[in-house]
Amino acid sequence: MKAPFSPYLSGIKAGLQELIRILRRDYEYVSVLATDSRGLVVRISQHARSVASETMTTERGIVVRVYKNGQYSEYALNEFDPTKVEDTAAQILSALREQQTILVETGSKVYNTAILRDEPITLFVEKETEQLPETTDVKALVEKLSDLSDAGMAMCEHMIECMANAQSTHICKMFLTEHRDMCQSYVYSEGTAVAVVSRDGRNQIGYEGVSGLCGPELFDQLQNKMAKSVATAEELLDAGRIEPGEYEIIASPEVTGLIAHEAFGHGVEMDMFVKNRALGKEYVDKRVGSDLVTMHEGALCTDNVTSYAFDDEGTLAGDVIEIDHGILKTGICDALAALRLGIEPTGNGKRENFEHKAYTRMTNTIFDSGTDTLEDMIASIHRGYLLEGMESGMEDPKHWGIQCIIKMGREIIDGKLTGKVVAPIIMTGYVPDLLGNISMLSGDREIFGTGGCGKGYKEWVKVTDGGPYLKTKARLG
Amino acid sequence: MLETIVQLLKNSGVYAWELNDVKTEGWEFYFIRHELDQNRAKSVEHITVKVYQLIEDGKFMGSASAELAPTATEDEARRLIEDLAYRATLVKNRPYTLNPLTEAHRETLRSAPVDVGGIARSFIEVMQQLPETATEDINSYEIFVNAKTRRFLNSEGIDVEESYPSSMIEVVVNARKDGHEIELYRNYESGTCDAEGLKKDLMRTMQYGKDRLHTAPTPALGQADVLFTTSDATRIYEYFADCLSAQMVYRRMSDWKLGKPIAEDITGDKVTVTLVRELENSSMNRAFDAEGAPISDTVILRDDVPVKYFGNRMFASYLGLEDTFMPTNILVEGGTHSEEELRAGKVLEVVEFSDFQVDAMTGDIFGEIRLAYWHDGEKTVPVSGGSLSGSMHDFVREMLMSETSVQYNNYRIPALTLLKNVTVTGVGE
Repeated sequence: MKAPFSPYLSGIKAGLQELIRILRRDYEYVSVLATDSRGLVVRISQHARSVASETMTTERGIVVRVYKNGQYSEYALNEFDPTKVEDTAAQILSALREQQTILVETGSKVYNTAILRDEPITLFVEKETEQLPETTDVKALVEKLSDLSDAGMAMCEHMIECMANAQSTHICKMFLTEHRDMCQSYVYSEGTAVAVVSRDGRNQIGYEGVSGLCGPELFDQLQNKMAKSVATAEELLDAGRIEPGEYEIIASPEVTGLIAHEAFGHGVEMDMFVKNRALGKEYVDKRVGSDLVTMHEGALCTDNVTSYAFDDEGTLAGDVIEIDHGILKTGICDALAALRLGIEPTGNGKRENFEHKAYTRMTNTIFDSGTDTLEDMIASIHRGYLLEGMESGMEDPKHWGIQCIIKMGREIIDGKLTGKVVAPIIMTGYVPDLLGNISMLSGDREIFGTGGCGKGYKEWVKVTDGGPYLKTKARLG
Repeated sequence: MLETIVQLLKNSGVYAWELNDVKTEGWEFYFIRHELDQNRAKSVEHITVKVYQLIEDGKFMGSASAELAPTATEDEARRLIEDLAYRATLVKNRPYTLNPLTEAHRETLRSAPVDVGGIARSFIEVMQQLPETATEDINSYEIFVNAKTRRFLNSEGIDVEESYPSSMIEVVVNARKDGHEIELYRNYESGTCDAEGLKKDLMRTMQYGKDRLHTAPTPALGQADVLFTTSDATRIYEYFADCLSAQMVYRRMSDWKLGKPIAEDITGDKVTVTLVRELENSSMNRAFDAEGAPISDTVILRDDVPVKYFGNRMFASYLGLEDTFMPTNILVEGGTHSEEELRAGKVLEVVEFSDFQVDAMTGDIFGEIRLAYWHDGEKTVPVSGGSLSGSMHDFVREMLMSETSVQYNNYRIPALTLLKNVTVTGVGE
């Protein structure tokens, strides 16, 4: 079935178009992004169970962007009455004039920026889904997750908690200007199976996730994930500490994704180029990785949790080749950063929700696959680790430093896994070294979409990342 | 609309209900260097409804929640409540009661109007007046000022409203030398604009930037004493609080027991943690928590001995706790050392991490070092690179703290915190 577009948004469209007409009397450019995204969250554990409707991306509201004399301003609200459009326009004008007074009185200069183009685009997209979060059988889902949690508890004597979580969001967004009328509706879902074990006062966690551009039908796939979560948690109880040093490593697809995201993804967000905050600006058309490295970024790269048709600034979604056989070709860009850099936007202008500013943000950041097998990759390592599971990462676009917290490492000696596990692992290094040392890539790949991404320590959005197993060198501690 | 929703809830036949209504008037200013990138304003209201149902003759209780748009019609509100009433019967938790109406709910709350424009102006002015130099300056900053009004009601008769300011400024500082430029990131939260505090910390940050351009590689120290002197230290004390949360204890993720020291053979300073209702200019000063429980000054850990668990109503009820709440501000005391004593001898003072983390569940700590000062007993050398790791399970025994304290928004903690025998992966000799 098609994910139906929001009747609420359809109902206020004419009012918003009228609002644009009124505001155009005072401003050279006006756009409106209106959102109505509904969700379902079911969390089941042994000690607490809940049903809720708010996911990271549920929202209903409106953000108006206006432009005059080189300056962009925005106003966000969530009480719009299509019968009182003049009142809303007055409310927006009043607030922005008050702000302007302070800017003038403090002598604040404006970063003079060109006006956004407004070529006509009409788009109406309803993507396919089997189920909707609004109408799915919640009772059956609760039972399914409860069975999963109970089954997980029985898998290991050290289990103290077992969580089965499922959330699904039906995104509906409408972008309007004088000449644009763009509507999209799609559903994405994500679920996690989490095992917590404890022995001698020490706890460990294992988790696995599923995600996709689909409805709650996705959660059938969680069934296969709990056993792996429990096994990981159990293994971590016996994990040793790693001897710090530089090692040959094989990154599992999840760790490969983390590298893609932290090592390079943030480094080519081009709003950072505008602020001179990213080293990538100086490396376009230069080598940043080995010949094996090709990396894609864009909402069209794959079907997953952030595979939209257009971004939050009304730019059509794209698929950008950031690195082509080791050479940095381009970055990703929101609409205003593109104007300031004199380039085309790539469809990466995203907001946490309608209340937040749009920044250049990642969507799907993915390494291309290679031709090697995992077995050959392990066999090629004299002393190193197979790294599995990601905890977190932090970008450093200014220096291309990288920090990744990784769940565990499996020791490899003389081409064989020894069975010894170390955890946790902090991987640090210099991005061009890390990418430059990539010498093998497996032929398969996986995409992961259960996480979120912040800009600094705020502005959380959905992203995915992934790729194949890759072999390189890194400093581990 | 709110009164209509309340009436619908009262007439719905559900076992219990809660309603949160948060209105925000916000102003935002974004600057690149000191030029305005964009200005933004917002006026939003978020109404969240949660209903509870008893199941199987009161053997279990379930709940379901949802946000209701402020533009919803009465019919939409009714349908949503009916839907929640059904969904709440699908999940089975141990039953408990909601927070009751008490005398504390009847006290008059301070709710002075918040001058959003005035606060925003202060932030802009303090940023314009920073003493930048040719080698240390401001790359960009983002100012967020909110006036929030929150009303909470539940089926037990609680109906309270309070207003408060909530501000944040994110600042990126640059420092450069011989064509090489580095940046330092800062994120300050507060009630209103603390102009003096902000200026002082940003000037210190600019000095850190200058020092970072003169660093040697962090030595491969193996194990070393590490000193925390910035806001990263709040993560350490967050761990102490987390281990005493009813949720962690009930789910057996924390084994800290009331009346029993948190570790054996403690030789370091002993930590005392108090949950407090107000800290000066904290963005988290509240009279009531998100479930309407009154917030009061409460000691939870005294001299490394747990004296009280805290938490939300559900897990607190499961542990038989009364008069508890979800914390907003945290005060940590117990330091016995002067700052000079803590910097004496061989110690690595880390002032910039890429991201410092303490995992409450496992006790593991991690952080990549972007700038530290290696005090080798004779001289002090700025260093960078490498990482540190270890476990709070081990560190709590020998941890030392300064007598002096410092406040980072909703945390007042010892100004200096020293962890002994931390694993330091260096990049130098």
